[in-house]
Amino acid sequence: MSNRVVNVLAAASVAGLMFALFGMSAGNAGAADPAEQVKDRQQTMKKLGGGMGAVAKFVKNEGATLEDAAKGAEAVLAVTKVDPKMIFPEGTAVGVTDSAAKPELWKNWAEAQRYWSGLQPVAEKLDAAVKSGDRTQIAQALGATSKACGSCHEDFRVKKN
Amino acid sequence: MRRVPTAAAVAAWLLPLAVAGGGAAGGALAADMAPAGDPVSRGAYIFQAAGCLGCHSNEKEGGAPLAGGRALATPFGTFHTPNITPDPETGIGRWSDADFIRAFREGLRPDGAALFPAFPYASYTRMTDRDLLDLKAYLFSQPAVAAPNKPHDLTPPFSWRFLLPVWQWMYLTPGPVPDDPAKPPAWNRGRYLVDALGHCGECHSPRTLMGGMDAGRYLAGNPDGPDGDKVPGITGAESKGIGDWSDGDLTLLLETGLTPEGDVVGGAMGEVVRNSTSKLTADDRAAIAAYLRTVPAKD
Repeated sequence: MSNRVVNVLAAASVAGLMFALFGMSAGNAGAADPAEQVKDRQQTMKKLGGGMGAVAKFVKNEGATLEDAAKGAEAVLAVTKVDPKMIFPEGTAVGVTDSAAKPELWKNWAEAQRYWSGLQPVAEKLDAAVKSGDRTQIAQALGATSKACGSCHEDFRVKKN
Repeated sequence: MRRVPTAAAVAAWLLPLAVAGGGAAGGALAADMAPAGDPVSRGAYIFQAAGCLGCHSNEKEGGAPLAGGRALATPFGTFHTPNITPDPETGIGRWSDADFIRAFREGLRPDGAALFPAFPYASYTRMTDRDLLDLKAYLFSQPAVAAPNKPHDLTPPFSWRFLLPVWQWMYLTPGPVPDDPAKPPAWNRGRYLVDALGHCGECHSPRTLMGGMDAGRYLAGNPDGPDGDKVPGITGAESKGIGDWSDGDLTLLLETGLTPEGDVVGGAMGEVVRNSTSKLTADDRAAIAAYLRTVPAKD
């Protein structure tokens, strides 16, 4: 085997390794597996929902402590800081496994992005409200955050059942 | 200045009530539990509770509020909602009080032709005269918009308007349902909000082949709802209903759209929460929950 071929093979295998490492972990590289990306998104949304649910449980006075609510609000805030391109990579619309994202989300990307960037300010308020400990304030902030989630769900999510 | 209403004002209020009461054996007291106010502000509340805005505005395409033009895709074809602004030419500006009540109560246009039940008069028929006239007062206080109605695009035989009287004979029971004196006022109020104003069953109950609400599957969910969406059941069933939801779960969903799992509803229900249930009083949301609790479970 000539040196040249060895070099090419080595380069290829390094590239393959790099791809395997970064392609998998970044989750949004062009050639990443769309099915995995959908699963990642569902995990992220679950985390968001889990956080919302914890705050809601506190608001409803159904067994969650203020500490649970604080953890929930932090989880919500953390997710809202993620770049929407990471969560909604192209090629992950309805049809890819059980994706519930309408193709319109990408057709109206500017609007979708605006919805997403509307999340962080309300999540910050939610976080601050939970830290204040005032149930009325928390309930209001929870309502505002739900509204921000709902606007995107209303336009860009298909009904699942 | 004037604390005591004049006799004329009192008569103006009582007269329509007496008429409604006479026509509907007993009359619905639950309807009177709406927040008090003048007819226009009372009508504004009815307008929200009845969720008129969503269907009668083409929000997505920048249409003016209440000027209609929204396409509603259904298994029977696509309906284009009409203009309900007070514009005399293209809206309902020439409708009399009697015209207005007849449309809701009997599903008839002022010229006597039958309305398609995409306008959910099988539910609205239960509204009281007072609520209808206050709703009209509110609608007529809104800006008139000149926007001609678009024809519906329906699949025969559903496009045949002359068949509608048959449909009405099968599925329309005109008039308010009297309160059940054996049940608490909140339950009666909840039933009025769910069945008459909120017209929840129009989406949450499946439809028969003829397009009527399937009474035997009342609120049991609809596999073929608006825009092809699956609509969940809201009876007391555990898995396919709200049997395992707390009262707080129900009222929080109606207020914010948040489900017990922390998801936020989208689609048509997202719109209902945004335009309607989030704007109700907390008492009214609690009344809806109190009533839904008692709907027999159906899986």
